[in-house]
Amino acid sequence: MFDIQTYKKRSLLTQKIRDFFAKNGFLEVETPIMTTMPGMEPHLNPFETKLTLPSIMTIQKSVAKPNRPQSIPLYLNTSPELQMKKLLGAGFGNIFNITKVFRNGEIGGPLHNPEFTMIEWYRTNAAYTDLMKDCENLILSLVGKIPKNLLTYQSQTINLTPPWPRLSTNQLFQKYCKIDLNKNRTFKKFKKIALTRNFDTKNCKDWDDIFFKIFLNHIEPNLPKNKPIFIYDYPSTQAALARKKKSNPFFAERFELYIAGIELANAFSELINPNEQRKRLKEEQLLRKKLNKTVFDIDEEFLSGLGSIKKPCAGIAMGMDRLFMLLTNKKNIEEVLLFPLNKMLNNL
Amino acid sequence: MTTTTDIRQGIAVLFKDQPWLITSAQFVSPGKGSAFTRAKLKNLKTDQVVEHTFKSGEALEVVDVLRAKCQYLYNDGEGYHFMNNDTYEQFALQKSVIEDSIKFLTENTECYALYIENVPISIQLPTKMDFKVISAPPGVKGDTATGGAKECTIETGAIIRTPLFIKEGDVIKVNTEDGSYVSKG
Repeated sequence: MFDIQTYKKRSLLTQKIRDFFAKNGFLEVETPIMTTMPGMEPHLNPFETKLTLPSIMTIQKSVAKPNRPQSIPLYLNTSPELQMKKLLGAGFGNIFNITKVFRNGEIGGPLHNPEFTMIEWYRTNAAYTDLMKDCENLILSLVGKIPKNLLTYQSQTINLTPPWPRLSTNQLFQKYCKIDLNKNRTFKKFKKIALTRNFDTKNCKDWDDIFFKIFLNHIEPNLPKNKPIFIYDYPSTQAALARKKKSNPFFAERFELYIAGIELANAFSELINPNEQRKRLKEEQLLRKKLNKTVFDIDEEFLSGLGSIKKPCAGIAMGMDRLFMLLTNKKNIEEVLLFPLNKMLNNL
Repeated sequence: MTTTTDIRQGIAVLFKDQPWLITSAQFVSPGKGSAFTRAKLKNLKTDQVVEHTFKSGEALEVVDVLRAKCQYLYNDGEGYHFMNNDTYEQFALQKSVIEDSIKFLTENTECYALYIENVPISIQLPTKMDFKVISAPPGVKGDTATGGAKECTIETGAIIRTPLFIKEGDVIKVNTEDGSYVSKG
């Protein structure tokens, strides 16, 4: 069923989001949906397609070759991150983007649709903590005037009065699992302590697998839901495009925003050192190969763009459909989409 | 030799040495990590429901469950009585074991009986079932508070959120797992 009332709210909220960024001096940019080099995240699967090349077209690499390629692979963006950082390198300053992104295989549950809308924004001369304030201000501007900043979502009352609580991943592991990540940095140690705590580590192939299995079973379901929460400082292995912490490079300056148990946004203090970035992208290439996934080339334009960024900057991606679920009190992402993919599948 | 299976809804598995029915399975992706499956499992012996998140691709041991067509007969306060359609054998189940299904049962409802080692332990409803609407409030156009939906009562007494155009006497298809409206029958 097409729910016009919810859609009117969605349209109005989109307008307010644009107003918020305009008022705060951000330039709206548009990035392409299709790209020749998608992001390297080892656990994201881009949709792959092909560009048909008409006979009059040659591409640089193939000019001298007699057998001209008739098509070249293209990918639907999993995130506009690489393109937006190229714009930062070109001196665009504070920018935001509302764009469709695509993640293959992400279907089957109330929070996922393989095609979804992302709000992504970058601040120059800023760190991830500045983005936490942006999140508070943006969402407060969207809910408008509500008594005592209390938002109701699915019978849960959420107090939006800032500042919102901030908890590091290591604080959470200590609080809910009595595990100090700093003391369990190797796979062997982490697995051992997980087993002594009686946590399931079945099928976990690396350190990050154990991290997520414990996080999803013993931390995420228990996070307090009466206030939004920033979970910050993730292990560096889970933040290839983020700046490592100077005080403890095992962790990187990355946070996620959770509201009512829903993961809403993911942010970094950006890594702007091209040499270190190259090293970390190579590690991701290796991991993709190990996972039997398509290995993409390193985007050289992106790396040289990073070299032109002079001041520290920070960027964030927020799932706009999930944000609308919260603000219109809907349980399933399909309720805020006019054409959820799952419905199309049901009609097959 | 034991058989293992991927985690998906409707399958009975061995987990922590107990037989469980997977009543729902959801995709969960932490983005920077591999994919996971968050499942709801119903213990087939105690009806206890737990949630557990498995790594995608993780396989569980299959519990041999025999499914047989049966129909619901009546509830006499002692329990809910069913009949196996092939053997005509009758059996009763406690309310607690079929709690979630009760709101979709009316006399002669056809469903599946689940047997472990020849003992009937639970039932399973078809995922989608047709029901007659016995009461429907008039849909008020432009009623923003309800988001273009209203609450109708179906023949079993359950309340289903439907689009505004559904009228009393209509037959609608309902998803029995989450009680959501699917389509007009």
